[in-house]
Amino acid sequence: MVHAGSMYVIQKTERTVIELLLENGITGLGETWGTPEAYALTGRFAKGWIGKDALDRHALRDATLGKSGYDNRNGRNGLASFAGLDLAAWDAAARSLQLPLAELIGARRRESMDVVCTLPAAILDRAVTRKELTTHLDVLSNTKLVVQFAQDQVEKFGFRNFKLKSAAYSTEWDWKLLHELREAMPEARIRFDPNANYPPAVATELCRRLDDLGLEFFEDPTGELEAIARLKAAVKTPVATNMWVVRDEHLAPAIRRNAVDVVLGDLFMWGGIDAWRRMARTANVFGLKPALHSVYETGIATVANLHLASALPEVEYPNDAGLHFLTADVLAEPQVVRNGAMKLPGGAGLGVALDRAKLDALSVEAAVIS
Amino acid sequence: MRAASGKEVLVARVLAAGGAAGYGFTLNEDAAVARDMAAWDALARSKGVSLLALLGGSYRKSVKAEKDDYPCIAPDWPNFRKGILESRWNLLRIDPFAWGSVEIVQTLAASAASFELGIAFLAPNEHPWEFQYCAALAATVKGEDSKVIFRKAFQDRELRVKDEPGIGVDWASEPGFKEIRWQNPQK
Repeated sequence: MVHAGSMYVIQKTERTVIELLLENGITGLGETWGTPEAYALTGRFAKGWIGKDALDRHALRDATLGKSGYDNRNGRNGLASFAGLDLAAWDAAARSLQLPLAELIGARRRESMDVVCTLPAAILDRAVTRKELTTHLDVLSNTKLVVQFAQDQVEKFGFRNFKLKSAAYSTEWDWKLLHELREAMPEARIRFDPNANYPPAVATELCRRLDDLGLEFFEDPTGELEAIARLKAAVKTPVATNMWVVRDEHLAPAIRRNAVDVVLGDLFMWGGIDAWRRMARTANVFGLKPALHSVYETGIATVANLHLASALPEVEYPNDAGLHFLTADVLAEPQVVRNGAMKLPGGAGLGVALDRAKLDALSVEAAVIS
Repeated sequence: MRAASGKEVLVARVLAAGGAAGYGFTLNEDAAVARDMAAWDALARSKGVSLLALLGGSYRKSVKAEKDDYPCIAPDWPNFRKGILESRWNLLRIDPFAWGSVEIVQTLAASAASFELGIAFLAPNEHPWEFQYCAALAATVKGEDSKVIFRKAFQDRELRVKDEPGIGVDWASEPGFKEIRWQNPQK
């Protein structure tokens, strides 16, 4: 599958997979972004973790990122790299305590959770240039390819929930495509995500025109916080973000500004499980809905998101998930989508194991930090 | 149980699946608070770790305890939300025994952290168990102002946060504790 949206057109993804070995012999699994910056930072941070206590993750966070947002000199990459190690520490801690990760986070409340199928902005046979993409989008009849793709996903996986990515190139394309999707799948929950690439006035006009379509929410129709707040005030469909409320210090201003209805939090942007859980709790207290954002992650992060959704009653929306689009995974037991949902694995920690041969086959670089 | 001070203390016991017993208490007769605390104590003891380890770790190894006369925020979510949004407080004064469960305290702590507020946990009766439990909770709260408060004119002090298995309460410090005859003795 070629992913096409307003930010990029891609056909592959790179991730950093982490194994954290404890003194007691237990290994925790983590994962984060695969960018060179995140990979390098993860290794650097890991050096500072040697000899530390995996059960004291607050101390690990302070030691790695500092006490305030200002102390984190590595920005988004710093938070994501910490989050990967943090996930491995949570997994290792939960395995050591013989608890499922969901129970250590809160409780194992749900065994199966609906997940969201991403729909590319356009169906392409290879990763094309922006110019080629816009040429394709100029032909409005091409929207039917996306509708067909969505119906194929229903057929194969039973999806009931979709996220339509938008190239934010043509409001006519998006308007037409969303109407066609609604007609083809009247019961489906559909979220619409132009990644804030429509300017505020254009986005507001488009969202007003889409307001009666019964979409689940508009995800980052525009930006930044002020613009999305104005747009939210102009429509009745809920408004979500995974771009403008992405770390601790963004939440209070968003609440005060009444900027969004849904905080579609990404575990890696937020900087780990504890930060995500804190966000979910605060969001819920102030009437916002937390939901789990995801891109194309391996089974490790996909399962971590399932544990979060299972553990936290505040999470009502289905999780984003892209694992079913990957041609290979690193886990021994395939994590599959059936009837539009994924099951929470049993056992302690994440409840999954690495398949060493699969990991080796996919590895482009590896490092041992000791 | 009657405490050495003469006050009545409600004590609850929970048995974990493996048989480990956990205890909780309250001096305000709210059994739900005591049961919740006992469940956390039982889980922590059954795993051989402290409450801190179950809640993600500690932000501090010791906690200040200070005399404080300001009123606590009543357990009322609409009022809590309104007060936060009106910037009514610089420090959230909370009686954890009035608000309820550890989960609720963690939710209050999350909101406090998002709005860059510390939490002052009230030990309403100045009982040693209250101080110890409040210290354990305060250790898990992000705000640097977080502390334990009390009403009477004790001397301010620094409370060490216990890292032993359980919720950080030294049950043996009350002579009456070992005299309790449980209604459903462990088999």
